[in-house]
Amino acid sequence: MNHVLAIDDLSFSHGTREVLKLATFQAAPGEFLALLGVNGAGKSTLLDILAGLRKADSGAIEVEGRDQRQWKPRELAQRISHLPQAVNASLPFTSEQLVAMGRYPHTDRWFESEEDHKLIQSSMERTNCWQHRHRTFSTLSGGERQRVLLAACLAQSASILLLDEPSTFLDIEQQLHSFSLLQEESQRGKVCIAVTHDLNLALTHCTRILVLAAGVVKYDFLPSQAHEDQDWLKIFSPRLRIDRTSAGAPWIWYQ
Amino acid sequence: MSSLHEMSSVSRRTLAVAIFTFAASVVLLPWIGPSPINLANVLHRQAPDCDIFIQLRLTRTLLALLAGGALSLAGSLFQAMLRDALATPYTLGITGGASLGAVAVIAGGWPTIWGLPGTWFGALAGAFSVIGLVIGSSLHSRRISAFSLLLTGIAINSVCAACIVILGGYAGMSRSFSIAHWLIGSIDSTSYLSLAVLACVVMFLGAMILLQARSWNLLAVGELWAASRGVRITTVMRTGYIAGSILVAATIALTGPIGFVGLIVPHLVRTKVSADYRILLPSAFFFGGSLLATCDTLGRVVIAPAEIPAGAMLALIGGPYLIWVIRQRKPLEEA
Repeated sequence: MNHVLAIDDLSFSHGTREVLKLATFQAAPGEFLALLGVNGAGKSTLLDILAGLRKADSGAIEVEGRDQRQWKPRELAQRISHLPQAVNASLPFTSEQLVAMGRYPHTDRWFESEEDHKLIQSSMERTNCWQHRHRTFSTLSGGERQRVLLAACLAQSASILLLDEPSTFLDIEQQLHSFSLLQEESQRGKVCIAVTHDLNLALTHCTRILVLAAGVVKYDFLPSQAHEDQDWLKIFSPRLRIDRTSAGAPWIWYQ
Repeated sequence: MSSLHEMSSVSRRTLAVAIFTFAASVVLLPWIGPSPINLANVLHRQAPDCDIFIQLRLTRTLLALLAGGALSLAGSLFQAMLRDALATPYTLGITGGASLGAVAVIAGGWPTIWGLPGTWFGALAGAFSVIGLVIGSSLHSRRISAFSLLLTGIAINSVCAACIVILGGYAGMSRSFSIAHWLIGSIDSTSYLSLAVLACVVMFLGAMILLQARSWNLLAVGELWAASRGVRITTVMRTGYIAGSILVAATIALTGPIGFVGLIVPHLVRTKVSADYRILLPSAFFFGGSLLATCDTLGRVVIAPAEIPAGAMLALIGGPYLIWVIRQRKPLEEA
């Protein structure tokens, strides 16, 4: 298979605490990966390393067949966009100005082109935040902020989307909407990797599930295989049970 | 037509207003002062009007415009680098180092060196020592972060303030008066040579800072936000730090530390015009210059023949105005 992202034996330590040790996986265009794990399992750290925001202690990352460190920061940003878990909420910028920043790696123009504006508008319309374009970021609610940040991520038109908890602060309708949106993006040939704690959202929307535990990718399976070996559920809580919805999709509930 | 277009056309109009105000200040302000100046006398090169106009009023206005512009630009830059609306040209310790250098020169009694003001050499030497110290320690840790810059700046400022007090104690009566006068911050007439050198420095460094405006936008959001969009953070932060520091040092060497203009102007432009650094930086430069020149003009008129230094005048007008603006805001918009 043609991988756009390949991670091999990645290790990372915070001081003496080993967060990742020998994490390995690959992702191909069209895949929507859910990156699951308990608090502190290293999910965000892994995304940060992939986005080039932190340096791994050892291991290799290939982006589009080339060593990640060989790409210039700007070239990497054209290929990978990263949705952070949080940004400073008191920003003086309007939502539209923030989304426009996604165009930074693509142009040297002083002001955005007509084409950039179209992309910015369509990204904001797709995440339902175009109506807030003139509002200052600091005046938005948590969910509205999250949608603006997701639009900024889309406007970067990268082929790999790394999303750190894209559904936080969103109401249920918006959670479903944003995950469907990412599903759409991956169907258009992109790779999406989303960190989430919502197992059902992951099982119903993602094409593949990765469970990070003890610094490695402990489980790697398709949502349709979720029933086969239920060991992976015990990582999260002994009270979890798995069932099927009337449509046959896996569904997790707790006792 | 997308909305960012409409917005930026408003911002561009404001920028045009800023440039117009700046140009109007050059043309109008030199005529205002304690003694009236006759246009015909200046055109016919008649003393004393012509000399007062050319040698005193015009140089003073030009210096105020350049200094106000440079300090506002530096203030906006440091606010982006530190992501702190309270950052001023003072905050990074440059003013401390530059002031100590300038005060040492005044205390030593070298008014001019090679035809240029001695404070210039002192201030630049002080600023370069601080830059060397900060960049040197950032080379060691291979990173230059907003937080460490801020703490280092505060530490350097306190050490320098202590040294200035000690120097003032040893300087003797008349020199310690000059030191006190310099420390308040005032615009005085200066030579065209000094003005030309300052203008070159300001234009070169200003252009350097302005050309990175898109990167400053991203850095104002956050270092990770900028890095994940392809900004070379360390390079941009380092060049910004060096350019901003030299800009401040070169300016305050001639005027004394007038930091408040660098706090109030960027803040007002950000709330009233745009937070976008492509608009904010040039607007802050032109509005800052006009504001300081206006304050200086007012200061030499209101209690004539005595004068209020520009720095004090600015604080008297700007302080209450800033408080009023902040009180107008709704709690949600608070930064």
